[in-house]
Amino acid sequence: MKKNSIKKETLHEVTFTLNGKKVTCKIKGATVLLDLIRDVFDLKGTKSGCNEGECGACTVLVNGAPVNSCLYLAINANGKQIETIEGLIGHDGTLHPVQDSLVQSGAVQCGFCTSGMAMAIKSMVDLYETGQHVPGDIRTELPSRDEIKKYLEGNLCRCTGYVKIIDAAEKLFAKEDCR
Amino acid sequence: MNFEIISPTTTDELLVAIEKCQNRHFRFGAGCTDLLMELKKNPADDLTVINLAQVVDDRLTNLTKTSKLYRLGSMFTAGRIVVNDELKTHFPVLHESAHNLASTQIRQVATVGGNLCTASPSGDIACALVALGARCEMLNTNGKSRSVAVTDFFTGPRKTVLKSNEVLYGISVPLNNKETAKIYSRFIKIGTRRSMECSVVSLACHIQTDAKGVILAAGVAIGASAPTIRLAKDACSSLIGKTFKKITRKEKEEFAATVLSYASPITDIRATAWYRKEVLFNISKSIFE
Repeated sequence: MKKNSIKKETLHEVTFTLNGKKVTCKIKGATVLLDLIRDVFDLKGTKSGCNEGECGACTVLVNGAPVNSCLYLAINANGKQIETIEGLIGHDGTLHPVQDSLVQSGAVQCGFCTSGMAMAIKSMVDLYETGQHVPGDIRTELPSRDEIKKYLEGNLCRCTGYVKIIDAAEKLFAKEDCR
Repeated sequence: MNFEIISPTTTDELLVAIEKCQNRHFRFGAGCTDLLMELKKNPADDLTVINLAQVVDDRLTNLTKTSKLYRLGSMFTAGRIVVNDELKTHFPVLHESAHNLASTQIRQVATVGGNLCTASPSGDIACALVALGARCEMLNTNGKSRSVAVTDFFTGPRKTVLKSNEVLYGISVPLNNKETAKIYSRFIKIGTRRSMECSVVSLACHIQTDAKGVILAAGVAIGASAPTIRLAKDACSSLIGKTFKKITRKEKEEFAATVLSYASPITDIRATAWYRKEVLFNISKSIFE
């Protein structure tokens, strides 16, 4: 009897919260979160840039922490809260303050890095809002430009030169409702 | 990229999974930031990944303190080291190394155990742990544990003493000397940019002095300068008893030369061996400034 050369792959069931909605699906062991988000859930806002953890275009929040979804095994999303850029927008279509600030500051050029940037900035704002630490320092005052730069070190932008992106983040922290 | 994955949820299940995989090609997946990169570039056939991320065990994931040491579970992430004030106070070099590792996103998932088991000669957290005189605790499939100094954990580039039936369980860092009044700590990473950088040369040091500034203990480790991260033992012991602020220029140079004697760098795409030696000598001297 001829043996089937293609081995049947084991599928794993994962259940997690995606932008506030509980979802369940079956995935291969080697599936990364990025592919699951884009190809299975059809959320194309999360971008595939370098696909090796360098550029941050694929940044999503896992339980509030920014991670590179291209280097995150989808199986480990099980039981977690996943937020993507699509989850930022309000029910009535209004932009999230982070998105609004990026637009107002003119921080978007080609836009490929923007969703990753927005997610990274959002996680930093959340850390501040909840009074938690921003890596390294106890929060006593608004983050400096250098702290913002350090936090966004995992997000590359090849158009803007970063100045306006950092402006956008800085303005956001300066707003009353973010303190 | 394709592989089978086993996701144990308890340490017992983990040990059973390791036992089951003894006749198979398997790898551990901790934060998976190095592993997935490697597998994307060089897909392996018939590989099984033992996923450590879902194991619920305080000893594997948390930080504990005893009267002699701090113990980090091997799944403790770089991000958690960065935000831990206790670690920052007692072991600033560990904080610095974690803070300088890759990027914010990578630090959320990258683990201490992963950094050690990857056994890169330029590992950041690993370099700090060598300077701190940390020990690795390994657990085997019979539930027995053994420990070795981090310096002896590495046997070559990407090679460790970890046996196929063992998993790195935790890392313990000895508490500072009771009389320590001040810690001089440096984590110097030389590279072409600040983020996402693999060091060209790195140096970690943790020097403890008493109230008068006399050096009580010193740990100096060098990275990307030899097949493994090295502890510059003789350079460390040469500092004991000296007053940190009163080290003369000649003594600094002697110290740097001793550190350099532990280096056997190679020439590769990032730098030449000559350059690495020059830089290492200079940064070794600079730690007293």
